[in-house]
Amino acid sequence: MVQFVFSPKWFWGKDIFIDAIGVFVLVLIAVFSTRYYKLNKNRNYLYLALSFYLISFSYLAKILTNFTVYSKVLETATIGLLIITYQKVRVSEILFFIGFFLYRLFALSGFYALYSVHEKQSKLSIFLMLYFMAIATYFSLSPFSYYVFYFASFILLSSITMHYYKRYKKNKYSATKFLAVSFGIIAISQIFFMFVGINLNIYVVAEIIQLIGYITLLAAFVMVLKHGREKNKG
Amino acid sequence: MEGKRTRVDIIGDMLSSIAGKGGQIKPTHLMYKSNMSHGQMKTYIDDLVQKDLIKKVKKNNYDYVIITDKGHEFLQKLREMREFEKAFGL
Repeated sequence: MVQFVFSPKWFWGKDIFIDAIGVFVLVLIAVFSTRYYKLNKNRNYLYLALSFYLISFSYLAKILTNFTVYSKVLETATIGLLIITYQKVRVSEILFFIGFFLYRLFALSGFYALYSVHEKQSKLSIFLMLYFMAIATYFSLSPFSYYVFYFASFILLSSITMHYYKRYKKNKYSATKFLAVSFGIIAISQIFFMFVGINLNIYVVAEIIQLIGYITLLAAFVMVLKHGREKNKG
Repeated sequence: MEGKRTRVDIIGDMLSSIAGKGGQIKPTHLMYKSNMSHGQMKTYIDDLVQKDLIKKVKKNNYDYVIITDKGHEFLQKLREMREFEKAFGL
């Protein structure tokens, strides 16, 4: 049977809460970016919002999948009937595949969209990239795909981190530094997610690192708003 | 600012100029401070008055342009947006 629970049992639910914090931060930035797009019609704001929405959808898919899988598995444990347990696991397995497929698809598309906002690309290359991502995600249902997905996320997130780092070198703006740090931390969490198969506790470490990354991203965003408001008072 | 100013940039510059002068400014000063032609400024002032972002008043026989509360709020949004743009590099 395919492994579809990567979290130690004591951590069930806590990981959902951590992912929900990620969704909150991503949606918050996306909403503001959409608001700014409405103000000045600069499409980059719209693309940035879209990329953050895509990443937040990926976490939503993960949350829903984990929530369903955890509750189904718990249910079988309390019922304790062999035949029912088997059916529940089958349902969970299908849900896991659909949920994890959507999680991977939205996450990779979102990270790539965010990368493309900063590193301009032709429409054709964006289309081709998204097509290959969809194909690769769909056909990669082997256990090995888990590593491939997190490695791809790591590469994309590292590229985004490099962009913000280079930008910080130019503008010396503290919020940009925080952006670089936050995406760097989220990139590091992907490496830990890759090795969850070795020990389930690595999943806990990965989730906590990811949480620190999203809190840093929130701090960067709050800093941006604060600077804007301080300038207004001045 | 680099390149051609957008409409939002011009509105931002106008509102900043008014706010920077304590919330009220003479139209001629506004024209120089926001780097605009007379005709251009007239169009923008009419538009901003219509949107309730500024008001035109007369004081001691002089015309003044006053920023409204809505104008202050809009200016804050614009400043937040510029900070956002600066941080994210948009």
